[in-house]
Amino acid sequence: MHIPDGLMDPTVIIIGWVEFLVVLGAVLLLAGNRIKEKNLPRVAVLSAGIFVAQMLNFPIGGGTTGHLVGGALFAIIAGPMVAIIGMTVVLLIQALMFGDGGLTALGLNALNMAVIAPLTGWGVYTLLKTMTDKGGSRNRVASGFVVGAAAWASVFVAAAACAAELAVSYAVSSGAYGIAAAVSVPAMLGMHAVIGVGEGIITAGVLAYLWSVLPDAITQASQTKKELRGLRALVWGSTARAVVAIIIVFALALPLYFLYASAGKDGLDKTMENADVTEGTPTIESPFSYGEDYFSALFAGLLGFLAVALAALGIMKLVGLRARKGADT
Amino acid sequence: MIVAHVRGQGSSRLDEHASEVWFGKLDARAKLAGVFVFIMVTAILTRVELVFASLAVALTMTVVSMLPLAHLARMYLAALPFILLASVSVFLFAGWERGIEMWARTSACVLPLLVLAAGTESFDLFSGLRRFRVPALITTLLMLTQRYIQLLSEELARMTIARKARGFAGGRSLLDRYGLRIISNTAGMVLVRSIGRGDRIYEGLKGKGFNGELMPWKKSHTTALDISFVASLLIVASVLLTLQLGVVQ
Repeated sequence: MHIPDGLMDPTVIIIGWVEFLVVLGAVLLLAGNRIKEKNLPRVAVLSAGIFVAQMLNFPIGGGTTGHLVGGALFAIIAGPMVAIIGMTVVLLIQALMFGDGGLTALGLNALNMAVIAPLTGWGVYTLLKTMTDKGGSRNRVASGFVVGAAAWASVFVAAAACAAELAVSYAVSSGAYGIAAAVSVPAMLGMHAVIGVGEGIITAGVLAYLWSVLPDAITQASQTKKELRGLRALVWGSTARAVVAIIIVFALALPLYFLYASAGKDGLDKTMENADVTEGTPTIESPFSYGEDYFSALFAGLLGFLAVALAALGIMKLVGLRARKGADT
Repeated sequence: MIVAHVRGQGSSRLDEHASEVWFGKLDARAKLAGVFVFIMVTAILTRVELVFASLAVALTMTVVSMLPLAHLARMYLAALPFILLASVSVFLFAGWERGIEMWARTSACVLPLLVLAAGTESFDLFSGLRRFRVPALITTLLMLTQRYIQLLSEELARMTIARKARGFAGGRSLLDRYGLRIISNTAGMVLVRSIGRGDRIYEGLKGKGFNGELMPWKKSHTTALDISFVASLLIVASVLLTLQLGVVQ
């Protein structure tokens, strides 16, 4: 999944760098102090462990092999923010010391494997594990499935992001860069749907081994205190943070989506135009608009995305509270 | 002393070629700046003749670096699948000329990066990044991680030999539960040993005065060779960019 230099359209490369640097800057700001001093060698050693674990090839069948990406494994062991920093270090070493993945493409590679993979893996794991942890006890088989599903999702979503970047590069450069969607999407998703199964099995196996041999070493970063209630639970609860992680993954796709979006009319607009019907004066004028250019559309998209996500989260929480009240009475 | 502890005694297997050739003796900042600018310009070239000119420069750099060509060829082969996927896809959708152009451009970008990777001692590289104001947290993590990778790779190699000695051949497919369990346990063992070793190394570092930041391990001296190297790559990149943008026809 390591993109080499010279393959991507410069605009897509710039978007990748900007998004990655914004995420890395935020993570360094939020988690930098926590990592300094005692945790620094531990994060380094864990990064090295993930790097070496990536050298272990697993059989896929027919004589081919795949290897661990490790984003979900890192995030489940150490938490998403430490995983983002650690995976960035792994990718920097791969690019600078092994020539694996390009220098200009480092922003996109880091976005896919150091940001999207850990966030997706951790988000899916945290959302699903509430179903397996009942009364503090852990069902080993169910935990294995949850970890496996999270690891599979992390690889598949990261591969989907890579495929989308290749397709957008091809589309915006009229074929000068990237790979056509007809090739990149089925090839990347098909291949990584299978590789993801291996990633899921190995990640579940590694974590089962770690839980049995060294349970204290695993920081349950996704666990939050049970006493959180009300607005604090809404903001700091593990479900809320996992949802935020998934939202960030989707939000990172928006700049590319808007680059790919067609300037043509939608179905209703086209039908109205064909029927010679014009839009009347609206009853209520919104203070926002989708904008005419790329950046205003992107801003409106991010704003809308955030509003819908917060509203959905609030509704989920209200429904959950009502259901809990009903169960109590 | 901290550096010696983290860097290890003697250079690593990865750095074995770097100290033997003139390219390895260049200042890391000069190499990073020159190669990055060259790759950045090459990555945006779309005119076929300029892409091939850039590939010629990249090949020249590969040869004159005096690094073992067989070693660089092995590294190039590792990057080849992605380059071929892109080139073949462009060939299928936009014709053979575009396909070859894609192969040439990606190769012209990959080759200088491989020369940089093979021809620079890793700690020089990270020291160079620090001098370019990359956050200390990242460069210190890079230095420590690189050191641990050497230790754990040796550990993994020993475990692989032990597995082979017990008849394990690597598993057959994703349905081979036994094979996957062995691989998972091996990866788990690598992590367990890495956590234990990390704690011991941390205690060792603290005893030697480690305060959370590893400083660049040697003083850098910019020589005429460094300046000539950067200047020649900047001139080539400027000419290619000027021709690409059509400032000079």
